[in-house]
Amino acid sequence: MKPFKQFWVILKKDIIMEMRTKEMLVSMLLFVMLTMIIFNYAFRADRNDLTPFGGGLLWLAFIYTAFLGMNRSFVHEKDQGCLEGLLLSPVDRSIIYVSKMAGNLIFLSAVEFAAVPIFTMFFISFPYYMHPDKLGIFLLGLVLSNIGIAAVGTFVATLAVNTNRQDLLLPILGLPLLMPVVAPAVIISGTIMSGSTSKHEMELVYESLKILAAYDIIFFVVIAMIYDFILGE
Amino acid sequence: MNEIEAKNICRSFGRRDVLKDVSFTLEKGGFLSIFGPNGAGKTTLVKILSTLLSPSSGEVHIAGIKLDDDPTDIRKQIGLISHQPLLYLDLSAYENLIFYGTLYGVDDLEERAEKLLEQVELTHRRHDLVRTFSKGMQQRLTIARSLIHGPSILFLDEPHSGLDPHAMDILDGLIESIRADHTFVMVTHNLRKGLDLGSAAMIIEDGRIIFHKGKQDIDETEFEEVYRVAVRGEVQ
Repeated sequence: MKPFKQFWVILKKDIIMEMRTKEMLVSMLLFVMLTMIIFNYAFRADRNDLTPFGGGLLWLAFIYTAFLGMNRSFVHEKDQGCLEGLLLSPVDRSIIYVSKMAGNLIFLSAVEFAAVPIFTMFFISFPYYMHPDKLGIFLLGLVLSNIGIAAVGTFVATLAVNTNRQDLLLPILGLPLLMPVVAPAVIISGTIMSGSTSKHEMELVYESLKILAAYDIIFFVVIAMIYDFILGE
Repeated sequence: MNEIEAKNICRSFGRRDVLKDVSFTLEKGGFLSIFGPNGAGKTTLVKILSTLLSPSSGEVHIAGIKLDDDPTDIRKQIGLISHQPLLYLDLSAYENLIFYGTLYGVDDLEERAEKLLEQVELTHRRHDLVRTFSKGMQQRLTIARSLIHGPSILFLDEPHSGLDPHAMDILDGLIESIRADHTFVMVTHNLRKGLDLGSAAMIIEDGRIIFHKGKQDIDETEFEEVYRVAVRGEVQ
């Protein structure tokens, strides 16, 4: 019960502070919207059917939005030495990790769920190809990808918190680590948005979901186990 | 019984040796004042004692527990007031205390938070964001934060720096009120305060202890001379 209370109080603190400052959410939302507007003009979305490229464009916007947000996820902890306050308390380091990751996951998901409908309006030709019965798979892909991004993003943001090049470290370390997430995420989103129902493509989607699930479990467990050393000093 | 026991602690950052073979003990209820020039290794020593850093070599026992064995158990028994307030600026004073108290699993937390806010004279501002507090008010709240879980050992790293006289009085009053049943380690540049409060004094220079005596054995003239030579070394 106590670990859950500790998890909840750290997560609640992050949510309360984000609701008060809106630093992460506003910057992430603005960035993702701006990216979509630029894509819209660059690819002449009004004249060309961009549906086949939808998955790639979507995740290009999301991955950088995620980095932008996660770069800020430890700003409050760094201010006034609050991270030391957390480390001084008798809280297992893995609980700190899970709480921070949960916060990042919530904020990233909130931005994505606001951005996906707008993305669909901009880039997916009407009538939309996505079958309503495939919406569940699309959302599952989104959630599994977000878990992977939050797991690794929180880890790299922790590494970056004590460096002078915080803004650089996240994309430099994060992008290679997240390639196994981005590729399946693009396949799942792209296939579902294009309305494809061919057996071969759906098999590819299911394989991608399995890869994402495996990635999430492995990275989450390994990082939670070694987080003590990362936060250590 | 020794509450703090440090044996041959060394600590390096890269090639730089910050602490060199530091050994000392402090009995339960003792008050050790640590002096020394900037960069002497005082804060590093406090960070090691408060489990925030590991020594490169050597052994530390806090409240009879070896640092490497169970740091979580040690953390329940220690409090730290450092240069930084360790407070969340976008939470209120009350929310900060409840947050830290929950992490420590404090019973009757709300009551305890209210009582501490009263002791540091911040009851009237308890629902205001810490961002709106002056430096002195933040430091007073820091004192409440460090006491929220009722630690038996307190580490004070230059606790008086940046305090106005009123906040200084509150801090000294609080220290005095809990002095009897707590063990203190205080880093300070204020000779008078350190010597008055301490039951023992230590001077660290360049990572080594160059002076360590109990209050009854201290010749203040000798102490001041050693301290001034150590600090002058920093200037050169």
